[in-house]
Amino acid sequence: MNAPRAAIRVTDVSKRFGGIVVAENVNLELRSGEILGLIGPNGAGKTTLFNLICGIHTPDSGEIWLRDQPLSRVPVYRRARLGIARTWQNIRLFPTLSVIDNLLMGPRRYPGEALLAGIFGARTRRADAQAARERAEEILARMGLSDARDKTPAELPFGQQKLAGMARTLMNDGEVLLLDEPMAGVEGQVYETIRQVVRDEASAGRAVCIVEHNVSFIRDLCTRAVFMFNGCIEQSGTMEELLASDKLAELYFGGRS
Amino acid sequence: MEYVYSVLVMIGIYTIMASSFNLIIGFGGLISIAHPIFFALSAYASALVNLHWGVPIPLAILLGTLFAAAMSVMLSLPSLRISGDYLLIASMGFQLGFVEVIKNVDFAGGAGGLTGIASIYSGPSRSPAFVVTTLTIAATVVSVVHWLTHGEYGRAIRAMRDDEECFASLGRNPMAIKITIFAVGSALAGLAGALYAHYFQFLSPEQFGITQSALILTMVVVGGMGSTWGPVVGALLLTALPQAITFLNLPPSVMAPLQGMLYTGLVLLFLFVRPAGLVAKRLGQ
Ligand SMILES: Nc1ncnc2c1ncn2[C@@H]1O[C@H](COP(=O)(O)OP(=O)(O)O)[C@@H](O)[C@H]1O
Ligand SMILES: [Mg+2]
Repeated sequence: MNAPRAAIRVTDVSKRFGGIVVAENVNLELRSGEILGLIGPNGAGKTTLFNLICGIHTPDSGEIWLRDQPLSRVPVYRRARLGIARTWQNIRLFPTLSVIDNLLMGPRRYPGEALLAGIFGARTRRADAQAARERAEEILARMGLSDARDKTPAELPFGQQKLAGMARTLMNDGEVLLLDEPMAGVEGQVYETIRQVVRDEASAGRAVCIVEHNVSFIRDLCTRAVFMFNGCIEQSGTMEELLASDKLAELYFGGRS
Repeated sequence: MEYVYSVLVMIGIYTIMASSFNLIIGFGGLISIAHPIFFALSAYASALVNLHWGVPIPLAILLGTLFAAAMSVMLSLPSLRISGDYLLIASMGFQLGFVEVIKNVDFAGGAGGLTGIASIYSGPSRSPAFVVTTLTIAATVVSVVHWLTHGEYGRAIRAMRDDEECFASLGRNPMAIKITIFAVGSALAGLAGALYAHYFQFLSPEQFGITQSALILTMVVVGGMGSTWGPVVGALLLTALPQAITFLNLPPSVMAPLQGMLYTGLVLLFLFVRPAGLVAKRLGQ
């Protein structure tokens, strides 16, 4: 046996929208238990990379692997069932569902989704539903959202919406966790909660990739980071190495006034 | 009295039609106009397997219902793969096309219609028995639609309508849900059609045209899309109202346009004044 395969491998992936290159020869490994920081200016292609990994976009060339399984022919919902969970930069909670119902949409196996199986396998379905509910309550408690369980997303302050979006993603309980700017716009208690959750999830063995602009957060949490610019991975290494790079300073911090 | 019975049967049948169409369009958000064609396909299938092969009526009704479901998948599977808009276009083709097919198939009676269909019940209590059967089935259908659109399956339907991409990213299969909803809704339309065939014992292709689609849509819109009771109220109102104006004893030349204007007027009125329908959807549901 060779060394354990990374949970996710992106190999030579390219993607363009019309004329815009959003990913060019991207190579990336995401290993179990690590927290990989994904940084880069707006429009660099970070969200697009998540969309490619979870299957919303298909690469023009290259392949994405979950362990030894190529994913190019696996539809979005199956990738989620295989354990690839992601959050959205703009949260995207279901507006007509309560917080708890949002979470209950998140398990890899949804009780009662297959109608016939639901009718004929009523007992397993009830067991699944019960397990999902217990897990949801647990996650809500962990996030400090127990009091918000029956509210609709619009009734929550922004920080709690972020937490709820992350809570829903955690319901997947899979191998891979892709977090798209989970800390953007939050501070104080919510910030601390998210930091703790990210740490715990990685300690539990999940492969975590996190898009974040806050450098001290990345330095504090991430084992490794990659820097994206114009659809290319320009640099990767520890945060210290990245910060020492002139290229990054020029492209990233130089570009931000 | 016979007249009252037939109106009650029609109320039951339209309740099934409106409730099942509401499942498709109101809850599922699937825009199709082919609902009456699944009614017709099952009505003809049930009548014909009984007539030609002697299949017992209850079994024939079941076969007709399943036939409607199977045909619905033939429509929804290829078109939904392309897009939701494509379903609407394909459903128009389905609707117009099948009416022509039925008109031109001799063993289905052709344009003149199919006569001599067997009745489930016979004897003096035939009609009351039919009323009870139809209304019981209608109540069951309303409950089934309610059960489907609430609870776990209903939660998934709402999430899918809120944000399909996010829904899929959580591991849910939107295609499976849409095709299932469409098949269940079409099967229920088929059930209504088969009941209709064995009550009125006559089918004519003219009955299943685009006006029928408009009538059922009106019932759903007036009653309230996406609510359980809306289509029931819509079916009741729009079956009873045209019957009521027949009592005005107007000449047919006035009557026909008046009924047409009634439907159009009601839809417009409700879209402007009460877009949620008579039975407004509860908020947060
Ligand atoms: N669905 C799409 N269609 C066309 N262009 C897109 C699409 N999604 C993203 N883009 C473009 O891809 C580039 C990268 O966007 P994105 O991945 O959102 O960047 P980031 O998350 O790093 O800020 C941007 O120029 C954006 O306009
Ligand atoms: Mg982004």
